[in-house]
Amino acid sequence: MNLLDFLPELLLLAGALLVFLLDVLGVKRLEVFGGIAAAVTALGELVVIGDLGYAPLHALSTIPASAIDQPLGPTLYAFTSLGLVFQAIFLLTAFLVALASLSRPSHEPGAAVFFGLLLLATLGMLLVAVASDLIFLLLAIEVTSLSTYLLVAYPRKEPRPVEAAMKFFIIGALSTALSFFGASLLFGAYGGTSFYALGAATGYVGYPYLATVGYALLIAGLGFKVTAVPFHAWAVDVYDGAPDDVSAFLAGGSKKMGVFAFFLVFLGPLLLAERMPSALPSGFGPSLQITLGVLAVLTMTVGNLLALRQKEMKRMLAYSSISQAGYMLIGVAVGTGPAIAGATFQVFAHLFMKTGAFLVVGAAASIGVGPLIDDWRGLGNRRPSLGVPFALMLLSLAGIPLTVGFVSKFVLFSAAVQAQGYFVWLAVAGLLNSALSVFYYARVLKVMFLEPSPASAGVGATGSGRFGGIGAGRAGAILLATVAIVALGIYPGPVISGIQLAATHFLQIGA
Amino acid sequence: MSAFSPAGLLALSGGLLAIGLFGILTRRNFILLLISVEIAINAAVLNFVYFAAFSGSASALSGQAIAVVLIGLAATEVAVGLAIVLALNRLRGSINVAEANALKS
Repeated sequence: MNLLDFLPELLLLAGALLVFLLDVLGVKRLEVFGGIAAAVTALGELVVIGDLGYAPLHALSTIPASAIDQPLGPTLYAFTSLGLVFQAIFLLTAFLVALASLSRPSHEPGAAVFFGLLLLATLGMLLVAVASDLIFLLLAIEVTSLSTYLLVAYPRKEPRPVEAAMKFFIIGALSTALSFFGASLLFGAYGGTSFYALGAATGYVGYPYLATVGYALLIAGLGFKVTAVPFHAWAVDVYDGAPDDVSAFLAGGSKKMGVFAFFLVFLGPLLLAERMPSALPSGFGPSLQITLGVLAVLTMTVGNLLALRQKEMKRMLAYSSISQAGYMLIGVAVGTGPAIAGATFQVFAHLFMKTGAFLVVGAAASIGVGPLIDDWRGLGNRRPSLGVPFALMLLSLAGIPLTVGFVSKFVLFSAAVQAQGYFVWLAVAGLLNSALSVFYYARVLKVMFLEPSPASAGVGATGSGRFGGIGAGRAGAILLATVAIVALGIYPGPVISGIQLAATHFLQIGA
Repeated sequence: MSAFSPAGLLALSGGLLAIGLFGILTRRNFILLLISVEIAINAAVLNFVYFAAFSGSASALSGQAIAVVLIGLAATEVAVGLAIVLALNRLRGSINVAEANALKS
């Protein structure tokens, strides 16, 4: 084992420790902490892209190409190109959030806590992306969860964030207990916890029914993390009560971690069901796929229906985030190479759309726009620099052509159609849901561009200071997300083919 | 690989899990809720130790190691929970979960 293989993780750890150390030493400036966080996430991102084989950054890569996508063994961790793609997504989310948070008031209390925990939470996500052992995976998820509970509550003098943290913690603890109990049953059934032992049933002990219950508990435990219906109720309160930048991080990052955990945990048993039928009860593979498919359809439908009646912007975005998780679960349920690629691209697109949208909400709040959707009346005309990016993000979430959201849904749904059988119905459900979601996105667009500004608008401190009172960092992060949405919407080819290659490799190394 | 029946064990650990989950979902006092979390995680610890003792030698050690790690994890979880309780208590003077209702759908 070469320690340098974990260079991005080590960078994040060093950055987090440096932030906490500087805080203790009395450096109380947000710019310093934010600068460190943005720098280490950006550097980590470059290293990961280099590891993925992007030639200009090859000098930065630390993992030898021969160590990536190797056949699975009974190890704790393994580098896969799909995992590296997810690492790039996590680091980019953290970078955008750190960049945007640089614009917060310089002497804000708790700044060190925010940036330090942001880095630690990202560290946990990166470890999830290289896990090849169930316990390693669940512990890495815990690193992220424990950091994010506290991240939500970092403005600890305000009731709403602390209450959101409390709800987050209760549900998170429930999910942890269910996941580990499920893992213990799998350990009992297969005599090991590495995906190799689970997928190839190397140490097969017996009791296939233990495996069924174990996987069912893992669906529930990990379902909380991806906010799959019926395990979604916490997400809305948490995204609503958390500070805007933390909501951006949760929606863009920690949910995606759950999606990758679904890939790791559930694709193995599907292969196993074909290879070693005695290790699983008969009919296990199809029923697992049906369960995941039902979960996907429920998640997108319930998320969209509830989003329709929201009056507050953040709650609407939170429900839309739940429905997007449903689309991603289609990829897990179908489980073919193209479907995994589609779900991964959807995750990648969602990073720009949803993280960007929450960052715009934060920007709007900083210039005095209220939490209700009606408070956004006329904002598109009054402040096109916020209105146009937000409109593009919403159009992309709705899946309108020329945005990245259209491409990702197209790739994902066509993969489901290709897989044939009842998977076609998953694509149909996805399409119907996309049509349904247009209603509530269009309503926001109408409010922003077609309705007059409220009489009180422009009173307050709007529009003062550099970048219209938003701050350079936040403006930069929003611009970056907007450019990515349009650029990837028009020219997605190279990224898609890269992700498709990674997904193909992922299935080949699969247990 | 001895022939053992996990039924008794599963009744015990499943019962512990059920008690823990019931507590997490119904307790209004945050401290009791944390205790319920601890009980639920310990159900999994018990399973690991038991399965480790009865499966082959290769996995015996890993099962026991996982159990120790999980005990550490449960302590960390409670530490974070207590930090949130402290913040909540300073704000409201109460650690009753049901009284926290600033967020409404």
